[in-house]
Amino acid sequence: MPAAAGPLEAEPARVSSASESIGQVLAPVAQKLWKVAAGLALPIALVAIWQLSSKDGALFGGALPSPARVWDGWLMWAFGKPGLGLNPYSGTWWDNVAFSTIRVAKGFGLAIVIGVPLGVMIGWSRLVASTVDPTIQILRPVPITAWLPISLAIFGIRDFGAVFLILLGAFYPIVINSMHGARDVERNWIRAAQMMGASRWAILTRVVLPAALPSIFTGLRIGLGIGWTAVIVSEMVAVKSGLGYVLWDAYYVGRMEIVIADMVSIGAMGFISDRLIVLLDHWALRWRRLQSFSA
Amino acid sequence: MGAISFQAVGKTYGGKAGVQALADVDLQIGEGEFVALLGPSGCGKSTLLNLLAGFEGLTDGAILFDGAGVARPGPDRAVVFQEASLLPWLTVWDNVTFGPKVQGLSRADYEPRAAEMLRLVGLESFRDALPAQLSGGMRQRVGIARALVMNPRALLMDEPFGALDAQTRLTMQQLLLDVWQRLKTTVLFVTHDIDEAILLADRVCVMSARPGRIARDIPIALRRPRSVDDVTSPEFIAYKAAIMADMRGHQAPH
Repeated sequence: MPAAAGPLEAEPARVSSASESIGQVLAPVAQKLWKVAAGLALPIALVAIWQLSSKDGALFGGALPSPARVWDGWLMWAFGKPGLGLNPYSGTWWDNVAFSTIRVAKGFGLAIVIGVPLGVMIGWSRLVASTVDPTIQILRPVPITAWLPISLAIFGIRDFGAVFLILLGAFYPIVINSMHGARDVERNWIRAAQMMGASRWAILTRVVLPAALPSIFTGLRIGLGIGWTAVIVSEMVAVKSGLGYVLWDAYYVGRMEIVIADMVSIGAMGFISDRLIVLLDHWALRWRRLQSFSA
Repeated sequence: MGAISFQAVGKTYGGKAGVQALADVDLQIGEGEFVALLGPSGCGKSTLLNLLAGFEGLTDGAILFDGAGVARPGPDRAVVFQEASLLPWLTVWDNVTFGPKVQGLSRADYEPRAAEMLRLVGLESFRDALPAQLSGGMRQRVGIARALVMNPRALLMDEPFGALDAQTRLTMQQLLLDVWQRLKTTVLFVTHDIDEAILLADRVCVMSARPGRIARDIPIALRRPRSVDDVTSPEFIAYKAAIMADMRGHQAPH
């Protein structure tokens, strides 16, 4: 029986041993590769079937171009000489990706700057909740597409029309998840901060905000996805550039290989930007992953 | 400093006609005294502690701390929670210095004391660890250091060792005995463990339930400094027998 006080208890829950064999190190890598391969099998098979079922560069000889034609179309779109008379898309892929990405970044950024503080305040303060939350709940069921005419009327065919719709679309999931995160903070964390003499402001910034971060990140991921939807919709109508504009324009002139290359580009951009948020999430919430290791 | 006075304290949840958790509790705790509140779960002992901490408002009576009414939580009445309730995104060091930092004290004032408190609880080599990397007992050591660093006039401990395994609990009890022997802070210690109450406290207040009242107030005259080995002494066992008989007598009818 330990008579003297001292650090006699168990070591920290997670201590990695220094002598891991090469097999132990490689096993997870092989496992990961296998997982990636398993995940890619189905899409590769579908594309292969699509290609094999195509003749004269189109699926069943119909309207849908074959993967090979889509690939050629994209190569021209991305790397072709710009400004060739009969090929208005040649070489414009990079610019259009940049236009759309910058719009999403602007709208999403504004949605974060407004949505996170507002959501946390609604979750934290009963006064803010009762004055602001009903308005949000009334406006939320209006789909962002229904805002298009108003947005055009106010902002015209200009960049901010698109940015506004992205802001609006990303705002709701961000504000609502921030609100829930701030509302569900463990009561004893707040009590602990109170008894340590923290002001309301200190509790908000040093306890409620970090405690709400996991939920906030969930909101950011959903919001960013909606942001990409919003940019495509608004570029189809409200501006004359970007992936959404090209998508609709190519459809009108019957360039289906550009339409599909455009769809794939949108998907890729959405995927990459989501991964960036996940990376940021993992970095900001390191403490949370440790927690799950030591249950 | 650190005198506590409960005067005819009552607490009812859900309005005047609701559930009566505490009724007519009178309890005087002197400076530097170690008092254990002992009772079954649901007897209102944690509620009594929460009222003193300022986490909840009382329905009847008054609570005076060094002669002044208790209105809100504050660092003069430091609380040690059952599950430690550390902020999981902060390191051990940042948890321990959180209080002085938010109170706007200068680093030069609190850093030496924070280091001393970490040494006192035996965690000086874990200052950069996160709570999730620590065992339950180590987390509670941080909880104690975090409370002591604020130099509180009273320490309110709400079943702090209740979630620990038996071995770790003994270690923590010894640690608390040693720390208290040095600092002599007033302590209100809530527990349902009879051994723990007798071992640690100068007085054991046995509570009965529905509504919660203090049924018996038993001074423990075991000499100090004490050690966890004292639990096998004849005097200790005599106290335990008396309290057990007492608690059986006060069990609420079912």
